[in-house]
Amino acid sequence: MKALCWQGKNKLDVERVNDPVILNPRDGIVRITRTAICGSDLHLYDGYIPTMEPGDILGHEFMGEVVETGPAVSRIKKGDRVVIPFTIACGQCYFCKHGLWSSCDNTNPNAWMMEKMYGYSGSGLFGYSHMMGGYAGGQAQFARVPFIDVGALKIEGSLSDEQVLFLSDIFPTGFMAAENCDIKPGHVIAIWGCGPVGQFAIRSAFMLGAERVIAIDRFHERLKMARASGAEIINYAEVDDVIEELKWMTSGRGPDACIDAVGLEAHGTGISAAYDYSKQRMKLAFDRPIVLRQAIQACRKGGTVSLPGVYGGMLDKIPFGAAFGKGLILKMGQTHMHNYTERLLKRVQEGEIDPSFVITHRFTLDDAPAAYRLFRDKQDECIKVVLDPWQEARAA
Amino acid sequence: MTITTNLAPKYREREFSRRPATSRLEAALTLAAGAGISIYGLLRRDWFGAAFAGVGAYLAYAGAAELRKPYQGRVRVGFTIAKEPREVYEFVRDPRNWDIGLRGVKFEHDAQHGLSLRFDDGEQYVLSSQLEITDEKPGEHIAWASSGQMMEHRGVIRFKKAPGDRGTELSIAFEYKSPAGPLSRTLASFAGFDPEQLAREALRKMKQLMEAGEIPTTKGQPVGSRGVKGAAKRVVFRERPAVDLQSRLAGD
Repeated sequence: MKALCWQGKNKLDVERVNDPVILNPRDGIVRITRTAICGSDLHLYDGYIPTMEPGDILGHEFMGEVVETGPAVSRIKKGDRVVIPFTIACGQCYFCKHGLWSSCDNTNPNAWMMEKMYGYSGSGLFGYSHMMGGYAGGQAQFARVPFIDVGALKIEGSLSDEQVLFLSDIFPTGFMAAENCDIKPGHVIAIWGCGPVGQFAIRSAFMLGAERVIAIDRFHERLKMARASGAEIINYAEVDDVIEELKWMTSGRGPDACIDAVGLEAHGTGISAAYDYSKQRMKLAFDRPIVLRQAIQACRKGGTVSLPGVYGGMLDKIPFGAAFGKGLILKMGQTHMHNYTERLLKRVQEGEIDPSFVITHRFTLDDAPAAYRLFRDKQDECIKVVLDPWQEARAA
Repeated sequence: MTITTNLAPKYREREFSRRPATSRLEAALTLAAGAGISIYGLLRRDWFGAAFAGVGAYLAYAGAAELRKPYQGRVRVGFTIAKEPREVYEFVRDPRNWDIGLRGVKFEHDAQHGLSLRFDDGEQYVLSSQLEITDEKPGEHIAWASSGQMMEHRGVIRFKKAPGDRGTELSIAFEYKSPAGPLSRTLASFAGFDPEQLAREALRKMKQLMEAGEIPTTKGQPVGSRGVKGAAKRVVFRERPAVDLQSRLAGD
């Protein structure tokens, strides 16, 4: 089959590799009909996530048709149309039983690596470094899905692939970010980053009853999409100080909750940003926590800072005194996907939201390396890229 | 770490918990070298001498401490498994489940030889004469001790009901002594045979097998070209295919 392989920083190749086979009794094989490039894939592309190896197959947002199941699979049948959540969960351990699916004890074959770095290991993820399990990803024509009975979301009815594909990651991720804000009537939510997760966080915040949402970014097309969802906007490149601007827009209260939908590759202006850039360039840090600092500083007293954005290592110069002094609540982590897939599918079926609104570009798998570059550099007003792994490459 | 067990080993005549870790010769040489260097240092009566005396004193101390140490290696690892203690006990007690953490070997049990290790190349290594269960209470603990041939070891596996309906706290604590002292231990850990890591991974795999019904793996999945660096790593880290456990799991 064809698959997109990581070959180093900024280097991706579409290669011919073996088809996946059933390796464990609870596995299933999916013929992928649609897959997408996630913002967090860019962290791999830019080489910020450790324990990647040349040849690793990328991609964790995918859906398709089940073509084979292992002997211990019962709920999912050959021929089912399924969306696969990006976290892999066994469904039997303490964490799975308590709704903490992305903390599953039993799905990371390389748990020792993560234990060395983080103390304890989370669940395995598709196509996201060996530390996170080393599972081959879904930017390919087929994928092996461990514990397919537990994770796969069956799609019945007439919804198109593009309408349900994002239940594999970004829609639940944006939704959990908003849910973590404990939104009450009248709340004002500030969201940094209007990429795909930010867009879903905006919509989700409104679904959960937010009065106002303030979206922060610097790209006009992204701010335009945010405004179309009903958010007010701040272009941080055009204002003096985001925190002052938020204070002004909330008449001195500050936002009730702040969502950092940016993560470790934040851009910014001023000394703090320059400091982070140089530290990262010198390999003294993996992360540039510019947005996290702003979110903690801007949040109202007793408010919540919710982090769907990915962070990897040791963060520097975090205003922890401010967080303590204001009694903030910090909530974060990989999305507990399995809590959300069914619930959000229902919202899609009922027409409350059509997740395909974020798609701006469609490519074939052969075009994927170019698509990564386009998405990373935000060329051509790119917000979300969807790949069709079976369509032949367009004639260039 | 102390192994908090009162379960006395049976090999009274070999009381190996009192025996020194390295050979007495090694420890004595360290002690003698330490003493010599400190005397030389003290005789110099200058700053260099003081430094020599310090180094010598440390060596003498290390040698003396080594002579008194009963064991050189101690390991303790614990996992919580979402099953009843009795069930975990039965799983652990079954020799067929003992090779989960090992590569290229299988445990076999028959009436003639007792317990033996079977290597991939067909060679058999009989263990039963060297390994004895010294104390056992079903569903609570198993204590064992070896008579020292190559590597002496003794320890205890405990099964305790976990708080809050979380199943069983399975813990293993053991002491061991390897033939050539710290040197062989370091070499073994480079070769991927660090006893603590082996114990941890074996317990983890038991947990995974008991809870999820399978051990997660990526061995055998598709991968793109690994390039020069990847090929070199494969040689250095001696990547090998996993032990085939799947045939036994298929019925689960």
